[in-house]
Amino acid sequence: MFGKGLLQGLGITFKRMVGPNITEFYPEQKPKLPTRVRSSMALDREKCISCNMCAMACPNSVIKLTSEKNEANKKVLKTYHMDLGRCLFCGMCTEACPTKALTVTQDYENAIYEPDEMYWDMLKRAEQKGKVE
Amino acid sequence: METLNNLFLIIADAIRSLFADPHSVWANLTMDVINFIIVVVIVVLAALILILLERKIAGWTSQRPGPNRLGPRGWFQTIADALKLMGKEDVTPAGADKFIFKIAPMIIFCLPMMTLAVIPYGRKMAPINLDLGIFYFVAISSISTLAFVMAGWGSNNKYSLLGGMRAVAQMVSYEIPLLFSMLGVVMITQSFNLGVIVEAQASVPFIILQPLAFVIFIIAGLAELNRAPFDLVEADQEVVAGPFTEYTGLRWGLFFLGEYGNMTALSALAATVFLGGWQGPAILPGYVWFFMKVGVIIFFMMWVRWTFPRIRIDHLMHLAWKVLLPLSILNILLTGLGIYIYRFVMGG
Repeated sequence: MFGKGLLQGLGITFKRMVGPNITEFYPEQKPKLPTRVRSSMALDREKCISCNMCAMACPNSVIKLTSEKNEANKKVLKTYHMDLGRCLFCGMCTEACPTKALTVTQDYENAIYEPDEMYWDMLKRAEQKGKVE
Repeated sequence: METLNNLFLIIADAIRSLFADPHSVWANLTMDVINFIIVVVIVVLAALILILLERKIAGWTSQRPGPNRLGPRGWFQTIADALKLMGKEDVTPAGADKFIFKIAPMIIFCLPMMTLAVIPYGRKMAPINLDLGIFYFVAISSISTLAFVMAGWGSNNKYSLLGGMRAVAQMVSYEIPLLFSMLGVVMITQSFNLGVIVEAQASVPFIILQPLAFVIFIIAGLAELNRAPFDLVEADQEVVAGPFTEYTGLRWGLFFLGEYGNMTALSALAATVFLGGWQGPAILPGYVWFFMKVGVIIFFMMWVRWTFPRIRIDHLMHLAWKVLLPLSILNILLTGLGIYIYRFVMGG
C-alpha cells in the first residue's frame, strides 16, 4: 500500500510517546555507573610507602610526590599532587602501586571554576573526604 | 445539559438585555467588541499552550519528559520564554525598509484573529456568521504569504528575501489543493457558510463522505502553515529562519505566536468542515466537542512534525502540482458523480 511507511513511522513515534522516558533526572537522581568507570582518584595516606612507583608508571607525569625520612629511617609522605588536567584515568598508577594505597574511584562531579583547581592536593582531599565521612 | 450547551448564548442575551433595545447599534457594537476580545484570548491562549505542548510532544517522541523545571511538570515554561523574548533588544537593521519590516509580524499575528472570527464554536456561536465563511477564511489566510514576503523584503538581507521567495512559492502552490479539497464539501452542502456546513454534518461528518479530501486538506494545510515535514521556509537546522533571520525579541516572537495561531485557525477549519464542528453525542456541550476535535488535529500535526524528515524542495513542488492537485480535482469529479447518482437513486 502506498504510504504504508508513513503510517509505520507514526506508529513507532506514538509507541515512544506513550512509553516510559529513558532519561535520568540527574541532580535529583544519581546515575548508576558501570563498574569499570574510572573518573577520579583517591589516596590512602596510611598505606602509602612513598615508593614513587605511581609517578614513574604515569604516562603523562601527572603525579608529583615528596617524602621525608622519620626517626625509624622510614619514608613518610610529605606532599602528593596530581595535575588532573593531564590525567587520563588510565589506572596505570594504581596497577603499579604495591600497597594499593592509590585507587581509582567513581566520583564524577569534578567540575571546577578555576583552572588552578585542577591541581589536586591528594593529601588534603583525603583529609576532607575523611571529614565528610 | 441544554443550559450548559447554550451557556454562552444565555450570557450574550443577558448582556444584550442590559440595553433598552437589545438589537440597537450600541448593543451590537458591545457584542462585537466582546466577541473580538474572546477571539483574541483564544489566539493568545492557544499560542501559549501550543508552544509548550509542541516541546512536550517533541520530548515524549524522543523518550524525554520535555521541559520539566518551571512550575508543575514544567507547564509554566512558556511564560518564562515569553518574558525572555520581551527582555531582548529590539533590533531593526540599518538598511531595512522600516515600515514594512515592522508591520510584517503584526500582520501575521492578526490573521488568525480574523480567520477564527468566522468559525462556529458551538450552536449559533460563530462570532461573525458570514455566508461566504470558507471563502473569507481562505482569502484572509492567503494574506500570510504576503507577510512572509514583507518580512523577507523589509529585512534588506538577500538570504531573508530568498527565504521569503521560497515561502511564497510553497504557500501559493499548496493553496490550490487546499481550496479544491474543500470544494467537495461545498458541493454537497451547497453553501459556503460554516454554520450551515456544520448543521449538515448532524448525522455523518464529512470525513466519511470525503476521506480523500480530508487527507489532501491536512497535507496541504501542513504545507500552508510551513510546518514540518514542509517547513523548508524556516528549516531550523538548515537555513536559520528564512525570512525571520533579521528579527529579534518580541517581533520574532510574534511570528512564532502567529504560526501557532494560524495552526489553531486551520485546525478549527478542518474540525468544522470535516469532523463535524460542534456536533457530537449530547454527553458534552457543543463547544467542548469542538475544542476536543481541534485539539486532536493539532496533536496530529505535532505528531507528524516529530515523526517525518523534511521533504526536498523539488519533491515539495512535485507533490503539490503533480499529486495533490490532480487528486483534488479527481475528488471534485467523484463528488459530483456521487451527488448525481444520489439524486438519481433518490428519485430527484
